[in-house]
Amino acid sequence: MHLETKPGAFDPARPVVITALGKTYAGAFGRGRVTALTNLSLSVERGEIFGLLGPNGAGKTTLLKTLLGVIHPTAGSARIFGRPVGNPSCRDRIGFLPENHRFPDFLTATQTMRTYGRLADIDASIVDRRTERLLEKLGLGEWKSTRLKNYSKGMMQRLGLAQSLLNDPALLFLDEPTDGVDPVGRRQIRDLLIELQKEGKTIFLNSHLLSEVELICTRVGILHKGRMVHLGSVQDLTAATGSYRIRVESPDGTSLAEWLEMRSMEVEPDNRGEEVFTLKSSSLEGLNAWIDRLRGSGFLIRSVDPGGSTLEERFIDIIERLNASDSKKTPTEIKRRSDPHSMQPAEDRRPA
Amino acid sequence: MRQFAGSITLTFRELWAMKITLGLFIVTSIAWLMLSFALNLDVVEGSIAALRILGIEANPMERVRDPETGEWIRQALTLDNFVLGVNQFVFGASYIFGTLLGLFATMPLVAGFLERGRIDLLLSKPISRSKLLAGHIAGVWATVLVLISYLIGAIWIVISTKTGIWLPRFLLAIPIISVMFAVVFSIVILFGVATRSPGFALVMSYGCIFFSAILAARTQIVPQLSALGRGVFLTLYHVLPNYMEVVGIMAQLGSGDAVESWYPLISSILFGFVCYVCAFIIFHRRDF
Repeated sequence: MHLETKPGAFDPARPVVITALGKTYAGAFGRGRVTALTNLSLSVERGEIFGLLGPNGAGKTTLLKTLLGVIHPTAGSARIFGRPVGNPSCRDRIGFLPENHRFPDFLTATQTMRTYGRLADIDASIVDRRTERLLEKLGLGEWKSTRLKNYSKGMMQRLGLAQSLLNDPALLFLDEPTDGVDPVGRRQIRDLLIELQKEGKTIFLNSHLLSEVELICTRVGILHKGRMVHLGSVQDLTAATGSYRIRVESPDGTSLAEWLEMRSMEVEPDNRGEEVFTLKSSSLEGLNAWIDRLRGSGFLIRSVDPGGSTLEERFIDIIERLNASDSKKTPTEIKRRSDPHSMQPAEDRRPA
Repeated sequence: MRQFAGSITLTFRELWAMKITLGLFIVTSIAWLMLSFALNLDVVEGSIAALRILGIEANPMERVRDPETGEWIRQALTLDNFVLGVNQFVFGASYIFGTLLGLFATMPLVAGFLERGRIDLLLSKPISRSKLLAGHIAGVWATVLVLISYLIGAIWIVISTKTGIWLPRFLLAIPIISVMFAVVFSIVILFGVATRSPGFALVMSYGCIFFSAILAARTQIVPQLSALGRGVFLTLYHVLPNYMEVVGIMAQLGSGDAVESWYPLISSILFGFVCYVCAFIIFHRRDF
């Protein structure tokens, strides 16, 4: 992870280097100024899939557009392949899929690829060859001669992705790439992104679908009100925290709630007729002692899950904490609210 | 160069897809076809003996001053004057209606070009903003030039064939109309880029055209004004495009007379140039 970068020489291992980037939108006559990005520093490493997360209005799209030269920064700098982002030549090896992109709907997929291939300064024969392959790969082979006005949203999204890959980019910026795509299509896109990563391409992904980000991203950054509030690997963020979620069944009607209450523990009802509780234990011995005790009392163990959070849970937790601290709420109140399913047994608490 | 050509091609395709080019082409074709089939002339010794429009007999007379008595008399319309009159009417109409129609027709194109989701995709390509905007403008210019050439050229051929009088100077209307369209289109581009409001840009461009009609009457209006009013009026006259006065230049060129003043055309071109420069600066600096 690189938070600090030195401007100057281009490091091929880091195609994207952002240093103290800031963007403030000036309102009319200097009124209504909005700060979208504040002192943001980040570098993206070659071959990684970097996920940019954040609530609405956090500055994700502003950051993406700033990196593509669509928006001009008001502070700091950003370089792509060692060149300032305002320089068109740095976009030679970039692919971009914007959110809610609009292609001229009177064109066919093939014509769209040719048009944008020309604008990207790619030789026509290369465009034709790649178009054939990309449209086939993204499931649009049969539709290549159909006008885009007859395309569904998912098809448009796949065409957008094909267009972004037309120049065989080394760096890909994707803003909500699976928006409007059906589950099968999402899976195809996910597989394609993993395949591209294996080819050594760097992917900068902006998505609200955190389950997908969790599946494919190697590293994520969380933006909140224009600031990078978290930067790290997905594994670090979702790692198990020494707690286990134990799901049990009681064939003889014994209530787990009562059983746990006797031991000053609480139980979380489950809507499938099972009973679940979360045990905090830093050791396997502690976990096994609980399992033995439960089995000894006639309970059947259905499952034991390491109690790590999903990316979505961690994301919501982080954002709610930040929102709470903004509105001067106490962290304990927020912790209680953001993690309602967590039981509170003491660390390494053993069954009586 | 490939990128510039790509930008022009995209504009062409869009104009074609929006049926704008096709519509203007059909209107143009109807105009010269009507002229070619509806107009029948009988010419006797350089004068028009009979004129039939859609089969209806007309009495083609003109008022001229008798060189001996100095009185106004009516005589048979000469062929030269007939050709002059028809061409000037057609070219004057093409100038006014062609420009208004052209602006109206290209307005959705500017709006589409600056649309969110479209412009950011275009700007993410390795093409400079100046080249991208220039390609878009050039595409519109080229389309208008082709259509104007087709209209003026076809009508000139029809009239010349029917009368046997070939006056190439009438073809000067093609560059003048095209240039003046480019001047007025600069207002659309400037306000389109600055505000992203196609309606506002259209109102501003139409406003300039209609205001130029008032400015053209400066010899009658200025003496009636106070010193301050005179200053304001004349400043506007020199700053804004003199769209209506250019009609006079076209008429003088068509009749073979010396052009009294090129000023209206030159000041209009300068106005357009400044508008385009401002539009490029704004387009270069703004966030999309």
